[in-house]
Amino acid sequence: VQLRIPAVAALTLLAAAGQGRADVEAASHLTVFTEPSAQGRGIQVIHPQTEVAATHGPVGLQAGYELDIVSGATTRVYRPGDVPDAVSGATFSDVRHAARAGASFETTTVALTAGYSYGWENDYRSHTLSVSARGDFLERNFTLGLAYTRNFDRVCDRANDLAQSLLDLQPLGTSEGCFQASGTELTARRLSIDTFEPSLSWTATPLLMLSVGSTLQLLDGFQSNPYRAVRLGPEGREPQERLPQHRQRFALFGRVHQAVPPLRAAARLSARLYRDTWDVAAASADAEWLQYFGSSLLAGVRGRYHRQSGAIFFRTAEDYRVRGPAGQYWTGDRELAPLTNYLVGARVAFVKRPPPESRSWLGELEIHARADFLFYRTEPGAPNSDRTRAQVIAAGASLRF
Amino acid sequence: MKIRSVRAWLVVVCLTAGAGCARWRPPLVRPHQRVHLADRIMRVDSDRLGRAADQHVLTTREGAFGGNGTAGGGCGCN
Repeated sequence: VQLRIPAVAALTLLAAAGQGRADVEAASHLTVFTEPSAQGRGIQVIHPQTEVAATHGPVGLQAGYELDIVSGATTRVYRPGDVPDAVSGATFSDVRHAARAGASFETTTVALTAGYSYGWENDYRSHTLSVSARGDFLERNFTLGLAYTRNFDRVCDRANDLAQSLLDLQPLGTSEGCFQASGTELTARRLSIDTFEPSLSWTATPLLMLSVGSTLQLLDGFQSNPYRAVRLGPEGREPQERLPQHRQRFALFGRVHQAVPPLRAAARLSARLYRDTWDVAAASADAEWLQYFGSSLLAGVRGRYHRQSGAIFFRTAEDYRVRGPAGQYWTGDRELAPLTNYLVGARVAFVKRPPPESRSWLGELEIHARADFLFYRTEPGAPNSDRTRAQVIAAGASLRF
Repeated sequence: MKIRSVRAWLVVVCLTAGAGCARWRPPLVRPHQRVHLADRIMRVDSDRLGRAADQHVLTTREGAFGGNGTAGGGCGCN
């Protein structure tokens, strides 16, 4: 049934395209993320994606499907000197599915899009509605865009009906029985996410494009990892991770794309500042150089730097053991710890287009591959400090006709 | 804290929108001058799946989120 969804969507799109002259694009992409551990098995995520889009006049239809096949091991209890346990339960031996469909209407100066996606895995359900609009003005030298996304998510959790205090909250042991009415020890917690993203792009010169924008995200609901526990205080209590119900996240970004025609190349730079109400502050910078070699070969190199502070309630495992929690929240999430990431990568693409005068059915064929290497720098005693690097290997192809 | 943060964000949104609506008229780039801007290496919306996978990886490895912009890049190349 799961495989039929994209197949039916693809056939519908192709049938729609067949009603007249339409542009159709099909693309597939496979990403393999590997994060090895010095003490255990680490994590591997295999992430295939496929997408079909058809445009007929001002109307466009899109459909896509993707998977996250996750396997590995992680620390179930955040405590000093802990090593990962082999996990056979839900968290790291799971498959996440996501199917999406959307439609767009585009004129020479205005574009409207709307979409829906549904994601599901053993312990998580997610409905996402998204709409976006953009308009060009000043002879299409500027584009103002606004996107809004609303998530209606449900997270499986242990009911913890007998807990007398926050320290009695027990983590979820397994995802078996999640979202089934008969599971009395389990419950589904709600999480709603609203995301607003305005942006402004400026075609500054025939060789230079600039963009600025921001993101506001409001989260309301259960945001903890239900499987994770944290050791608190010298008496060794190990309650389930507990995060605040609400979070507001703000980001500002700027982007510069500069063409370098003598080298048939482009430099792409971007920077982002981030802050949220859990007191995580971050700065990220990206730089990429893309260049053609010959008529069909495109190659590029990339670097990225990211640095962030920790959440206000984050403590190292030793601090949690000695001093206890900071207020009524505690976490063993590396993403909420002070962290510095470096990324270096390279990509190569083969692009084939028929000559403009030919009557070929093929519009464009692209085959591409890339490799990125990610290096983490965390404080001693921070979560997952046994994992200091990751690699991302990806390959894909797209066909337009 | 929350109200102040929302206000700050609204100011940024108004400034972003206001920048485009201001009476200042920059030198305009004409359609025939956009051959380089139309190339895939300059376009923001090229390699959608690859960018989505990239963001998927980074968002789950970092505490920060967003700042990726909306769809479309304002090339106006057609």
